[in-house]
Amino acid sequence: MVQYGGDEVSALVIDIGASTLRAGYAGDDAPKAIIPTTYGFIPQSTGADVTMADAGPEGETEPPKAESTLYIGQHGPSVWRADMQIGNPVVDGMINDFKPIPSLITHALRDVMRCNPEEHPVLLTEPAWNSVANRERMAEIMFEEFNVPAFYIANTGVLNAFAAGKGSALVIDIGNSTASVTPVVDGFVLRKGLVYSALPQLVQAHAKHTLVMPSHNHPQIQLLPHQLISNKTPVEPGQAPRFTIREDRLARTSPSLMTYYESREVDEWGQSVAGVLDQGWNDQAAAARHARHYEFPTGFNTLFGPERYQVGELFFTHSRELAASNPHLPRTIPTLISQALAACDPDMRQVLMGNVVLSGGGSLFAGLAERLNNELSRNFPHVKIHAPGNPVERRYGGWLGGSILASLGTFHQLWISKEEWNEHGKAIVGQRCK
Amino acid sequence: MAGGASAADVRSILSLPASSTPGPSQSKKSATSTKKPEGISRELYSLIGASAPTLAAQVAKPRLKQKPNLGGGGKVKWQWRNFKNGARTDGLELGHWVKAHTDPDAEYPFAKYNVKGTEYTYSQDDYTRLLEDPAWSKEETDYLFSLVQEFDSRFYIVADRYEYPGGTERSMEDLKDRYYSVCRKLIRNRPWAGDEASKSQLISSFQFDKDREVTRKKYLSSLEDRTPEQLAEEEALYVELKRLEQTERRFKKERDELLRTLAGVDSGLPDLPFDEDGPLGDPKKRKNGRLAELESPATPSSATFAAPPPRRAQSARSIAYDALHLISRTDPPPASASTTKASHQAATLRSFKIAYPKSAVAAKVTQVVAELGVSLNRLVVPSRDTLAQHEALLEAASALVETKKVVDRVDQDIRVARARLGLRESEGAETPMEVDGEGGGSAPAVLPEESRAQSVVSTRSARSRKPTGASRRSGSVSSVDASVTSTTRAGTKRQKLS
Repeated sequence: MVQYGGDEVSALVIDIGASTLRAGYAGDDAPKAIIPTTYGFIPQSTGADVTMADAGPEGETEPPKAESTLYIGQHGPSVWRADMQIGNPVVDGMINDFKPIPSLITHALRDVMRCNPEEHPVLLTEPAWNSVANRERMAEIMFEEFNVPAFYIANTGVLNAFAAGKGSALVIDIGNSTASVTPVVDGFVLRKGLVYSALPQLVQAHAKHTLVMPSHNHPQIQLLPHQLISNKTPVEPGQAPRFTIREDRLARTSPSLMTYYESREVDEWGQSVAGVLDQGWNDQAAAARHARHYEFPTGFNTLFGPERYQVGELFFTHSRELAASNPHLPRTIPTLISQALAACDPDMRQVLMGNVVLSGGGSLFAGLAERLNNELSRNFPHVKIHAPGNPVERRYGGWLGGSILASLGTFHQLWISKEEWNEHGKAIVGQRCK
Repeated sequence: MAGGASAADVRSILSLPASSTPGPSQSKKSATSTKKPEGISRELYSLIGASAPTLAAQVAKPRLKQKPNLGGGGKVKWQWRNFKNGARTDGLELGHWVKAHTDPDAEYPFAKYNVKGTEYTYSQDDYTRLLEDPAWSKEETDYLFSLVQEFDSRFYIVADRYEYPGGTERSMEDLKDRYYSVCRKLIRNRPWAGDEASKSQLISSFQFDKDREVTRKKYLSSLEDRTPEQLAEEEALYVELKRLEQTERRFKKERDELLRTLAGVDSGLPDLPFDEDGPLGDPKKRKNGRLAELESPATPSSATFAAPPPRRAQSARSIAYDALHLISRTDPPPASASTTKASHQAATLRSFKIAYPKSAVAAKVTQVVAELGVSLNRLVVPSRDTLAQHEALLEAASALVETKKVVDRVDQDIRVARARLGLRESEGAETPMEVDGEGGGSAPAVLPEESRAQSVVSTRSARSRKPTGASRRSGSVSSVDASVTSTTRAGTKRQKLS
């Protein structure tokens, strides 16, 4: 027992990301509960005029009132409900709205895992750029609302490095909404080298633009979800779809739910069709690749050729027109890496480049790992990228690192106990979780 | 088994008389009633039935290696137990599974890994007395020390988190320099419990040369800032250097090889390519004197190790006896000589040691000696003196043959050179342009081996063309050339006969 360094105290690990919330027992190799962070709610004062009033900006403009029911989990936002709106507490990797957090955690722990948080120490994760107020609020929720015996909040960058078995690493974490590059040395984040950008959102926006805008290859594609289609008949590739829309539902679908459904469709398309060329953009190479077939819920189906590689190219380069049109584009991955390295000590650069850890669900984008490897080895002499081939390990690297950390015997001295919380208050979080 | 009914079952259902041979289900019943002998498999037993032969007794159950007993084999009782961690300051109790027999009051096994580095502290008095630095205030030094303590001297993290309110920007070298210099001063001025060596060792472990570190880091970053073109150029230069080095090495090796071949020992180079002791080595490489020396090796001793004859103790009579019977005694080998088989020399007849000319020149030597009217075949009394004379004669003869060979070669070389000179003079008159070009350059550029080979060939051809031109003696010598092999064979035969 001692020689492996493990000592399991049945701790719980909770990793809240932009797309999913992962929870499970420390020491496991995969989270037990994976639920969407996005939740649905129906505003209590249901009236046509109110719904129309906040039709313009969608999302968190109408935060759920305390008494309104939240629809959480696998049967939450993905199930169509009349007038249901969609909310997501995570903005840029950070928790922006703490109101639904207790409900989300309760759902994961009590409804999915069927465990009592009062009996288990809880390890939470946070992005490296989390604010002090945020982590203290998180500790407050866990101690005051869940009454946990002990609590710790750890950095996803560090945990990703631990999941790869490294103490020092350059962690490239590409999530659903944020891509970040975190230099980790001896289990500590070098905050000066930390950089992140909303690159995945740009990629998704571009993918949506590609689909919605009519092109020579395909007409405008309607991104309607299955929930709004009553029936359809098969059509030949490229032909106009023949389907019947559920008019009754469409009328009562809130704009935020519609946006959510559309982004789900775009994600789906991106995961199955989009990719990135492994040797930089090249028109011939892109044309030489096989076109891929994809069918949308409406029944429209067609072949996607080079345009599916243009989507992934955004991770690495921004075209000149795009850069000219928008001066505040999120930085590309190579830019992020070079900025992170420039902020690090020259001695550390070699070490970091030899221990690059690729993590996050966004990094599963087809061909991204190979391309990154090619880009880096072109510019740095000794690059070694650790990219787990197992998609579960890649997507939930932060959770896995937390699972490893919370099951180590030497870690148990770091927990913030309830007693310490009562004694020192919020300050203990900053002192203990460096 | 459960699915199919056997023939016996069918018979019993149809109330038919049981067949003489019982079905499998019946035999099974009998098998259960009478105990199956050990060492027979169940299937076999059901086939041969109870009439198991005495074979069963002989078939012993195969003895397998005993299973290793891993950790008692018994059940391990585990218990969920709460524990306190000694590394914690509060009373947090966490629970884990432990073996029930472990001591519940034992120290938490992981608490011992909670080690803290030595903390260096100083009082206000210490600070004013020793540690004043215009660039640092005491508060900032305190802050630095608290950070170093907090991050266990991980200066990368300390430099990353260093944010002193109102302070100047400090690089990692600044921080290290300040921290280490303070520590050095503290150690130097504190009473030290151990010996001086350990103290100076500790001080030297806090040595920090800030300028050197800064220069090193600058150099490192300049290395990283090289453009791809610079990198490519460096790479090309490196490859070129390696190539030049290799060419030079090869050239030197070839030159040495050539020198050895041409000059032999005189070249002064080690590792001569030929074997000096080889009796059949290239005669060109061997001096005549050495040839003779090799042809007549020192007279072997007749002494034996079992009874080394003491020379002093020889009586006059035995000397007379020896003289009469032509016996010569040699000194026993010196004591320092190794006593291996090779060093042992048996008693021999002197005729055994009659020297023969070297086989390569044997025919010519024999001929020369024959011209003197001496027959090498018949050495009637191989006394010491005759043998010496014989050896001297052979030596002289072979020297003569060697000299003759050299003279022939030189003559031929001169002839060839003359012929070539004449050819070039006539050529030069016709096409003067080519003299400067290839025609003039090629002839002297021929490698020595080649020219030697050429000259040998030309010697032979010249000889065959005008055999009468040579003197009588040289003609006779060279004419033997053709029958060298036969003579040599005869020579060996002669050796055997004698």
